[in-house]
Amino acid sequence: MTTAASQFTTLFDNHTLNVIERMRLRPIRRLTNRSRGEHLSGKGGSSTDFADYRDYAAGDDLRYVDWNIFARLRRPYIKQFQHEEEMHVVVLVDASTSMLFEDKLLRARQLAAAFGIMGLLNVERVSTYASHSRQGQPWMLPPGSGRTRIRQLLGFLEQVEGGGDTPIEKAIETMLRFHRGRGVAILLSDFLTFGDLSRPMNLLFSAGLEVWGIQILAESEINPNVQGDLRFVDSESQETLDITNASELLNVYQDQRLWLQQTLDTMCRSRQGRFLSVNSASSLTSILFDQLCRQGWILR
Amino acid sequence: MKWPGFVNLFGAWFFLALIPLIVLYFLKLKRPRLEVPSLALWQSVVNDQRVNSPFQKFRRNLLLLLQMILLCLLILALMQPFLAAGADVAEYMPLLIDCSASMSAKAESSGQTRLDVVKEQVRKQIENLTGDQRIALFSFAATGRRLTEFTNDRRVLLKALDQIQPTHLPGQLDDVLRLAAAYTRTFPIQSVTILTDGNLPDQVDFELPFSLEVNRVDAGGPNVGITEMSARRSGPQDWEVFLRVSGSGDDLRGAELQFFENGTQTSAQSVEVAKDEPERLVFPITATQQTLIEARLVPAGFDSMELDNTVWLSLPTPRPLKVWTSPKLSSWRHALRVQPNLDLEESTDAVPSGSDYDLLITDSGDTGGAIAPVQVFVGVVPSDLQDLIEVRTDVAAVVDWNRTSPFLRHVQLSEVQIGEQPYLAQGASVKELEERGYEVLIDGNTGPLLLQRREGLQVSFWFTFHTDRSTLPYRVGFPILAANAVEAALKQASLSEVSAAPTGVLPALTVLPERDYVIRSPEGSEVTVKSGPTGVLTGIAAPRVGRYDVLDGGELTTSIGTGLLNSTETSLSSTSELRFTELTVATNESETLDSDRPLWWILALLAFLVMLFEWWYFSRARGAVA
Repeated sequence: MTTAASQFTTLFDNHTLNVIERMRLRPIRRLTNRSRGEHLSGKGGSSTDFADYRDYAAGDDLRYVDWNIFARLRRPYIKQFQHEEEMHVVVLVDASTSMLFEDKLLRARQLAAAFGIMGLLNVERVSTYASHSRQGQPWMLPPGSGRTRIRQLLGFLEQVEGGGDTPIEKAIETMLRFHRGRGVAILLSDFLTFGDLSRPMNLLFSAGLEVWGIQILAESEINPNVQGDLRFVDSESQETLDITNASELLNVYQDQRLWLQQTLDTMCRSRQGRFLSVNSASSLTSILFDQLCRQGWILR
Repeated sequence: MKWPGFVNLFGAWFFLALIPLIVLYFLKLKRPRLEVPSLALWQSVVNDQRVNSPFQKFRRNLLLLLQMILLCLLILALMQPFLAAGADVAEYMPLLIDCSASMSAKAESSGQTRLDVVKEQVRKQIENLTGDQRIALFSFAATGRRLTEFTNDRRVLLKALDQIQPTHLPGQLDDVLRLAAAYTRTFPIQSVTILTDGNLPDQVDFELPFSLEVNRVDAGGPNVGITEMSARRSGPQDWEVFLRVSGSGDDLRGAELQFFENGTQTSAQSVEVAKDEPERLVFPITATQQTLIEARLVPAGFDSMELDNTVWLSLPTPRPLKVWTSPKLSSWRHALRVQPNLDLEESTDAVPSGSDYDLLITDSGDTGGAIAPVQVFVGVVPSDLQDLIEVRTDVAAVVDWNRTSPFLRHVQLSEVQIGEQPYLAQGASVKELEERGYEVLIDGNTGPLLLQRREGLQVSFWFTFHTDRSTLPYRVGFPILAANAVEAALKQASLSEVSAAPTGVLPALTVLPERDYVIRSPEGSEVTVKSGPTGVLTGIAAPRVGRYDVLDGGELTTSIGTGLLNSTETSLSSTSELRFTELTVATNESETLDSDRPLWWILALLAFLVMLFEWWYFSRARGAVA
């Protein structure tokens, strides 16, 4: 028997939570912090995972000399092990007004919670940001790690509300002002902005963050059903745009939408990142366990 | 490039109507509002569509654009644009329309007369009349006539134009040009347009105060007609009637000439004529009484003009010439006795016993109340010249004489000795004689020896010396002089030669004095004319070809007929240039009457098409525009 009171979070049910807890993030690069963690990051670490050999240099710790090789070759070689370091997982939820359409924000919060839980259970430092107002600080959950942090994370995300007016590019720049640490930056937004995303993407990349972009679009944005002469009103800026014979423009609209997806994908991939566009109408499990797993974003 | 002008330039104020149109359009246009998450994609779509479709910008507000175009077209049509025919748009345009006889010539193919073609051109000009333009219509044949004042009232102009009919008169430009010139004093007339067939005398005695444009219509079809008809007496009761039949075409065309005497056909003859090959015919006639002869031409094929096919000629009652001479003028009597067909009254009375004579020759100023068309006074100074001429007994000599005068034809006067010498009074000159109506026929060394005076139909010759006191009666020229006097009297009495009367004015008719006569025209209209004290009816207008009857109290007195009798009109030829006093104006057949071309109907049509397009476009894409 499943009731609302017995659920751990309102974002998804306990079963989904259980599945999520067994999943791990799979970054392309191992961008980690110097502080110790459970992420293997390059050679020279002190983990039990062997990585490579190298010539002995003066001052090297003699404990790492491979004596068997020395006996055979009469030359000292140092054994190197994988470095286990802590990885930052930064989740940015676009809480602008445009995300209020058709469960886009809900899906973004659910995905943010899922990614956050995966990070926390993998002993990563997880910080969460929600862009809201242009002025002032973003809503943020400072970096933290450990299972105990899960409740805080879910509580924070449950309280995130839409209706903000910060465009995604501004939100990224604002987030970077508060964030320190290398790792993965997960951007959950519709990426419908008039601004240029190249600069924030470069900033993310230069900050040592692997960019994971997930575009969440509503069904009405993917397949708009409009016709006739219309006056479109921007939900954020209230600006208007008069469209004549909108039905004749749908083909061009689809071209533009696909072009935007392709641009974002290129933008992320060129910065060692990933990109995925999802329909907000798709279920969370479908997105998590099907699309993301299949594309290798997460490991089950 | 010619820019169109506008009749109603004030109509441009209506362009201000565009402002409320635009305002109302945007006020009225209510598009359904649809809130979308972001305009980013749609803005890209619109931008992309604009790039790919340059007219997308216009398409967005296509309805407004079409409405503005529609309104602009309607306003432009309201402004009545026109393409000016010439560089200068003449404000006052006198149009001189030729309605001479040749303008009634019909084209063989269309059956349209030249005047119809001209009227069509003028009608178009009137219909295309722009706001500040004024037209005055003049018609002309032998004389000019103003049909309308300068006006832009199309109704008045078209009504006047419809009333123009071809006359039966030859064309003359002088009169109508003077009429038009009179208007240059009150109106700024730059140019005068003549619409004619070019069948005009090429010499015009007129100094042009304006520029002249001659628009010539095409030539009509082939034509044959009678151009001359006259009769000469060949015996006491015999006449020879001469006829000339001419044609206008290059090819010979046949016709039958029928001859009628007092309405009865007496003979007929076939003729074949061409442009330069007229045919002259002679019909002998025996007339014992006054006879009205009608010559009627029946063309074998198409004949362009009918009114030159009939001509009338009145032959007088044959009688001898009635002459009276003074008993003392034995030399004159002697010379007259040998003349044939002469009834010479040789009485011994100093004054004539009768009242009507054909020729009076007297040596006295008193004729006793008798009148004659030709009078010869011998040795008499006219009473009204007594103060200017004094006759003395002296030897006079002939200095010069008018050799072209019919009275002195073939008369040699040199070396004639004269025993009486007329002197002009001191200070007097020939000019004063002329002012009093006398023409000097023989000049003496000190004064006039022979004077001539014309009064109505009468002509009188005044020898200021007595012929018996000169060597003239002994000269060969004297019987010739007497014969010339008889000849003049015969002509005056129409006893030797008669010519058919052309249209215009009827020849003077001798009737009873001071009596009302009714003249019945060929169309049946009647006009009453009173004869003068000398019993002459003159100045009777005869504008139509046909028979005119003179009625006295309901009874037919005499009949006289008229014909066109103009070889120029019959030839239908066109002169290529008109020579004026100082310049020459070319008549150009290809030149048509230029008129301003109105464009309002094109704009109105375009507006209608725009409206149809608007209806079709927005019906086709329903919902495309609110």
